[in-house]
Amino acid sequence: MIEVKGLRKSYGPITAIADLNFSVRKGEVVGFLGPNGAGKSTTMKIITGAMAPTDGSVKVSGFDVFEDPIEVKKRIGYLPENPPVYGEMSVESYLRFVAQLKGVASANVGVQVERAIEKTDLGSVRRRLIANLSKGFRQRVGIAQALVSNPDVLILDEPTSGLDPRQVAEVRSLIQELKGEHTIILSTHILPEVQEMCERIIIINRGQIVAEDSLAGLTQRMQNSRSGLEVSVRLARPSAAVAQALGAVAGVTSVRLDAGVYKVQLTVNHMDAVEKLAEAAVATRAGLLELQHQAFDLEDIFLKLTANEDTAAVAAGGAQ
Amino acid sequence: MKSWIRGTWVLAAKDLRNLFLSPLFYIITGLCTIVWTLVYFLSLQEFASQATMSQFGGPQGGPNLHFVVFAKHVSIVNLVMIFAVSALSMRLFTEEKRAGTMPLLLTSPVSATQITLGKFKAGVTAAWALLAISAVYPVSLAVYSSIEWGPLATSYLGLMLVVACYVGVGMLASSLTDNTVVSVIMALILNVLLWFVGALSEASPGGAVNAVFEHLNFGAHFVNFIKGSLSVASLVFFASVMALAVFLTQRVVESARWR
Repeated sequence: MIEVKGLRKSYGPITAIADLNFSVRKGEVVGFLGPNGAGKSTTMKIITGAMAPTDGSVKVSGFDVFEDPIEVKKRIGYLPENPPVYGEMSVESYLRFVAQLKGVASANVGVQVERAIEKTDLGSVRRRLIANLSKGFRQRVGIAQALVSNPDVLILDEPTSGLDPRQVAEVRSLIQELKGEHTIILSTHILPEVQEMCERIIIINRGQIVAEDSLAGLTQRMQNSRSGLEVSVRLARPSAAVAQALGAVAGVTSVRLDAGVYKVQLTVNHMDAVEKLAEAAVATRAGLLELQHQAFDLEDIFLKLTANEDTAAVAAGGAQ
Repeated sequence: MKSWIRGTWVLAAKDLRNLFLSPLFYIITGLCTIVWTLVYFLSLQEFASQATMSQFGGPQGGPNLHFVVFAKHVSIVNLVMIFAVSALSMRLFTEEKRAGTMPLLLTSPVSATQITLGKFKAGVTAAWALLAISAVYPVSLAVYSSIEWGPLATSYLGLMLVVACYVGVGMLASSLTDNTVVSVIMALILNVLLWFVGALSEASPGGAVNAVFEHLNFGAHFVNFIKGSLSVASLVFFASVMALAVFLTQRVVESARWR
């Protein structure tokens, strides 16, 4: 559906993105993840045709963004960082305008506008001027605008920014709902969001892809790359004897008490060792309250990948 | 082709709608009519006194309504329009850039040419609406006397063309900046400058250069229309100025993708 090849964009001497390659299949929801200034927005602008790259090509449904921009744009709904709304228009007339602009057939404009209003739950404000709406509503108008032409591809740049937690949940469920019908690329720096919504994650840092996989795949990869495992054990009655008992379990290298919780370091990355540890903890009869092995979550993955890049870059900079 | 025209009209209709729903158009119209009313009243009085004088043995034939009243009105309308159109067109692009709606236009299935033509159409329509209001003054005289429609019509055709040139220039200015104040000042200076390009012919000593500047003389072309004559050269001249402004704006809009 979307094919990005060798994409490069530099602003004068500054390279925003360097040699980006990825593809997105039809109906897939892909999360674009990266720290601020990593090149997420730039990439999205290039895919939508709002910006021309320095080098490389982008194809959407087989059409090249630079050779057939009109064909590509017919198939794309784009929500930029700031919702592109006209304050002096009402929600309904604005969506009507966007639908016409996107080339929706006159007979269908009404239906499409209704659908977008319904999906983004804007019915209560449809006749209000956009200038008078709160940031959250405006953001939803922005999403409605991207949906209104019922495009094959949705490119959403931080769709949940400025929304309150309830609205964030609504947008997430909306995206779940749109899954399958539309191919979606969304960018964010809110990790749980990606975890919940996206089938595939592309982590980009300093204009380069540092990881690209499903969440499970990424987690697996991180687990494998780690030599040991840390398990937290919380006991009702911690004591030195207990610590010793835990330390005696096969595979345990160290036990330390951290804020009333034993952090047990295991050499082997294996669930058998965790099971043994649990048995030992129960056997001490010190009142086992909680035992948790620290699985990598997306945050760790993200921090690790982007931090590595940073230190590598710093090291490279120091060597110059 | 059909959808191409539709895209342009959708854009123009949006701009017009927003312009007519905002106070800007009405403030400008109000201010313009104050000036027009004042000057029109004075020139009517002058006409009346000239007519009275001719009855008592003044110049032969009496005053000419077209030259004493209408021609003056047309030149005042033209003068006021330089300011009014600069103000009307100042927001065409600056507003899109300020509100962050440029990405919407650039990612919609419309070309930079369509975006520019849409803006131009909206600006021209608004400016012509203002012209239509100014036409009420001479046309209302038809109730009280017989007027010469021919020269009045060509004068207004001339105004329509000149005003469309102002829109083109104003639109170009607004595409170059995201600040409305800078945009309106730039438009004003450029529009005033249009009238002085021809004056350069006096500075250059004859020959080809002189001839070129004479052909670029806005005043000379416009005077033809006031006198009631239609020349193809003048029509082509004004059309070229508009086309140039639209072309340059289109380049600026397109260049947004490359920055």
